Amino acid sequence: MTPGARADETAESIGREVASRKRSAVEVARSYLERADRSAKRLSTYLHRDAERTLADAASVDARIASGETLGPLAGVPIALKDNLCTRGIPTTCGSRILEGYLPPYDAHVVERLREAGAVFTGKTNCDEFAMGSSTENSAYFPTRNPWDLERVPGGSSGGSAATVAALEAPVALGSDTGGSVRQPAAFCGVFGLKPTYGAVSRYGLVAFASSLDQIGPFARTARDAALLYNAICGRDERDMTSRAEAVPVPLEEVERGVKGMKLGIPRDLIGEGVDPEILASLDRVAKALADEGAEVLDVTLPHARYSIATYYLIAPAEASSNLARYDGVRYGFRAKNETDLQGMYAATRGKGFGREVRRRILLGTYALSAGYYDAYYLRAMKVRTLIRKDFDEALARADAILLPTTPTPPFKIGEKVDDPLAMYLNDVFSVPASLAGAPALSFPAGMTRSALPIGLQLVGRPFDEAKLFRIARTWERRNPDALRVPPIAVGGGG
Amino acid sequence: MPIDAKVVHDVAALSRLRVDPSDEARFVTELKSILSYVEQLQALDVSGIEPTSQVGAGTVTPLREDQVKPCDVREEALAQAPDRDGDYFRVPQVV
Repeated sequence: MTPGARADETAESIGREVASRKRSAVEVARSYLERADRSAKRLSTYLHRDAERTLADAASVDARIASGETLGPLAGVPIALKDNLCTRGIPTTCGSRILEGYLPPYDAHVVERLREAGAVFTGKTNCDEFAMGSSTENSAYFPTRNPWDLERVPGGSSGGSAATVAALEAPVALGSDTGGSVRQPAAFCGVFGLKPTYGAVSRYGLVAFASSLDQIGPFARTARDAALLYNAICGRDERDMTSRAEAVPVPLEEVERGVKGMKLGIPRDLIGEGVDPEILASLDRVAKALADEGAEVLDVTLPHARYSIATYYLIAPAEASSNLARYDGVRYGFRAKNETDLQGMYAATRGKGFGREVRRRILLGTYALSAGYYDAYYLRAMKVRTLIRKDFDEALARADAILLPTTPTPPFKIGEKVDDPLAMYLNDVFSVPASLAGAPALSFPAGMTRSALPIGLQLVGRPFDEAKLFRIARTWERRNPDALRVPPIAVGGGG
Repeated sequence: MPIDAKVVHDVAALSRLRVDPSDEARFVTELKSILSYVEQLQALDVSGIEPTSQVGAGTVTPLREDQVKPCDVREEALAQAPDRDGDYFRVPQVV
């Protein structure tokens, strides 16, 4: 048997075993730490790990259970956290030099919730700096590798979280998604990744990138695990004024209800040309399988969705340029040395502390918001966003969910797009539309290419109807012979 | 106005971002390429369309009671300061 974590293990099965005291949380934590010890360095999945702390957390979960406390289904479950989620007293860098050594004085809302639920944190995962990127190559520290092919990117920006789950270093993880940063890496790494409805999860303690788009979402290797983690973090929190009580947990029995009678729309007009033929074949295969299970497959149109990337790359940098104004070298993080006046210190700190992609987006956002350009760029983009939203409203009035690829291509090679920002941005062409619409979207594994790279497809639903997305993905998963497959690095010797 | 080195320089000043002169040319090229791509939005008729600054959840402002709550993190917060003087953050000379 493979040492360390088992391939057939899920967050759900771990939670059950720990609750019934068949295994201790410490035993479970140890098996995942062992796994991570063998592959995390080669994959560069983590920015920060602390085995002692992880084991101490696990021991306190065991103590809570021994004292008779009833914890939820995630008790004793190891969970990896993207490094843009604040963890009290634990380094939180967002993959940036400007936050090197920063120890937040508070936990993010989701971290608090998971601690209460008895989850055990494995560490902080690598990401593109301030979540800006689609490959995790923009981390100021190192790029993360795709567990299925170490020469390829894991996607981004939550690449570390996606890769650590795919490689069995953690059964589940949290990431954040602004224009696809959970879904795209989930697709590239062959796992499930959910961007919840805008407002479903409190962002308190998530380092802000583009506040009208940011959402925190789960990575998992099964649809049920994705639902369990979503259930543990959703709902109203008064510290994030956008969070809503309509976001309620989805019972696992609901996830099993199948797709009979459901209407599934395919936006052929958006999918268009330039999509990898193996991904298109997978889309057809999944649509047919879901039709066999009783869903009605129909065509929908999203006529303005093709303007999504242009819209997004005005709105997101504009919001980022404002959100990132707080990094000034005064109160925490990096400060440039030898500057004799305050303005010089600000400019030097930010110039040196931010990487190229972040600087580019700050410049772009500031330009789009500046006097004389606001109407032509930012205001116009917000109006086009309205058109895109209305497309989704109309399509989702006809269909219960929309099915489309998560990405136009399988994972690309490290270095392939890093010098061409626009080519990198265009990789998000299918994930950005749902972000602009605020709709929930789930990427699920839908087979492999002939060269053994994962394919992900995406489901977009009505606001606060995550349940149907889980049901549809679960229906496919039940029929999918590749379910719970693991990459070579996580099999056998592993290291 | 087309993007050139002066525009990059001015926007960098607005952003409180020191751009190395050797980086300026590359930023000009990259920003030009992105802005020429977003130019496609100019072709759309958006007259009479309301802008979306936030969706659903962001469009209402929920209120809560204004209560005093303890927040005892002063030392933890100050411990993060790059430069500190007692209970103050120290910065280079302002005037």
